[in-house]
Amino acid sequence: MLDLYDQIEAAAAAIRAKWNETPHAGVILGTGLGNLAERIEVAATLDYQDIPHFPASTATSHRGRLVCGRLEGVPILAMEGRFHQYEGYPLKQITLPVRVMKRLGAKLLVVSQAVGGMNPYYRPGDVMIIDDHINLMGDNPLVGVNDDRLGPRFPDMSAPYDRELIEQGLEIARRENFIVHRGVTVAVTGPNLETRAEYRFLRQIGADVVGMSTVPEAIVAAHAGLRTFGLSVVTDMCLPDTLQPANVDHIIATASAAEPKLRALVSGILKFDAANATSA
Amino acid sequence: MLHLRDQITESAEFVRAKWRGVPKVGIILGSGLGSVGDAIELDAAIDYGDVPNFLKSTAVGHKGRLLCGRLAGVPVVAMQGRFHCYEGYSAERATLPVRVMNELGIEVLIVSNAAGGLNPAYAAGDVMVIADHVNFLNRNPLVGVNDDRLGPRFPDMSSPYDRKLGDLALNIARREDFVCHRGTYIAMLGPTYETRAEIRMLRAWGDAVGMSTVPEVIVAAHASLRVLGLSTITNVCSPDIPHTTSGDEVVATANTASNKLSAIVQGIVSEFAT
Repeated sequence: MLDLYDQIEAAAAAIRAKWNETPHAGVILGTGLGNLAERIEVAATLDYQDIPHFPASTATSHRGRLVCGRLEGVPILAMEGRFHQYEGYPLKQITLPVRVMKRLGAKLLVVSQAVGGMNPYYRPGDVMIIDDHINLMGDNPLVGVNDDRLGPRFPDMSAPYDRELIEQGLEIARRENFIVHRGVTVAVTGPNLETRAEYRFLRQIGADVVGMSTVPEAIVAAHAGLRTFGLSVVTDMCLPDTLQPANVDHIIATASAAEPKLRALVSGILKFDAANATSA
Repeated sequence: MLHLRDQITESAEFVRAKWRGVPKVGIILGSGLGSVGDAIELDAAIDYGDVPNFLKSTAVGHKGRLLCGRLAGVPVVAMQGRFHCYEGYSAERATLPVRVMNELGIEVLIVSNAAGGLNPAYAAGDVMVIADHVNFLNRNPLVGVNDDRLGPRFPDMSSPYDRKLGDLALNIARREDFVCHRGTYIAMLGPTYETRAEIRMLRAWGDAVGMSTVPEVIVAAHASLRVLGLSTITNVCSPDIPHTTSGDEVVATANTASNKLSAIVQGIVSEFAT
């Protein structure tokens, strides 16, 4: 894990060479949510392949570039497309961008994902603010010798998602008059979707939605001392007794349709957190 | 896995060259419990770094020494510090010391750990005799080609923890007048502590949660050793009262309970005096 530090330095230097602002936040845009990036006043973009040690993004509808610029006047780094365990990458490598965001000065991580809804009160197109997570990926990005320069050996996980920001997200949805839930996401490896039996199991252990990302990034953010705000977009319902075959195009279309809600939440949280940071 | 036996032989011969005793009991001392080893009349203390094929112990509160000597007059070998999967070691390599202690002649393995209490009746500082475990590490030290000289391909797991030794441990606690539970230990990979959602999930499955012990007990079962497992409850995992946990706090609480653990370990070991 000690070479990780040097990888972070190299990747951060490559981004610095193209853009020399200090980001307040890093934003990770998940499946079908990439068009949020169109709202960014772009100062620079870097393809992942041009950043040292970044893997190549192979997932459907993930563009694979880093956008540097401002959203609502707040300097951010946005990942259009992310890396997943199911692509065959180790968790340490897929979470490298979060380390780099921290290295460049970010205080906040905003992370979004497309998920299957298991809570029967949810509907496709709903947004859920992540209150907590269950890691069922069978692995952890912090396995290995701990580099104390990056964070503690045993990070606390009693509140990996910032509670003040959760409340603020709920407040934004009330003000903008759309439905938002607060719940638990469970991360599985994938890439296959779950069987009916697995959906029953995941619901029973306390999860409201299921996805194949976000949790490794949130763990690394907690290790690095970043505040995290997480959003899940329910793209299809995974109710074991009425399960329909999943359609990837449909999932991406539903995620895109939820974009205005996501934009309101991400913009609102960025403004709130940046203002908080200046007044503090 | 076939080269494993050669490694075991090599490591055991190295230990024998430093210490001629034949241990009856092997002891693994977990986070903050290393001081239980202070009661051993030492013949030799060997750094893990000197033993061929042993790994480096990188964890907080783990010294990384093999203690050889007598406890309550009985020859024992004790690991002051152990290896964990979260350190990046494979379960097979992390459990090599159990194979080596077996090769040295132990009949019984006493394994201890620091654990988070899931059962709401448990308090920090309590001791729990491990009745059974749930392997949630997503790793198993026996994965690979099986070496039939070391144990069976499909080891039975109907009772990996010896019931009689567990009963004895509870009797010692009663005699010494301290709280001792008997429950199920769940092993998680770590190194992150559990989220509240994970604690709710785990509460349905067991009484205490930690990041060790299960691989060692699986290997002990494979090698047909009798096992006593002891957890020190170092913090209470409560999903509804968010409460932060740190490695230092865990080690500090484990230290305060080491007298209780010491009493049980010495009492059990003395049963094997000839």
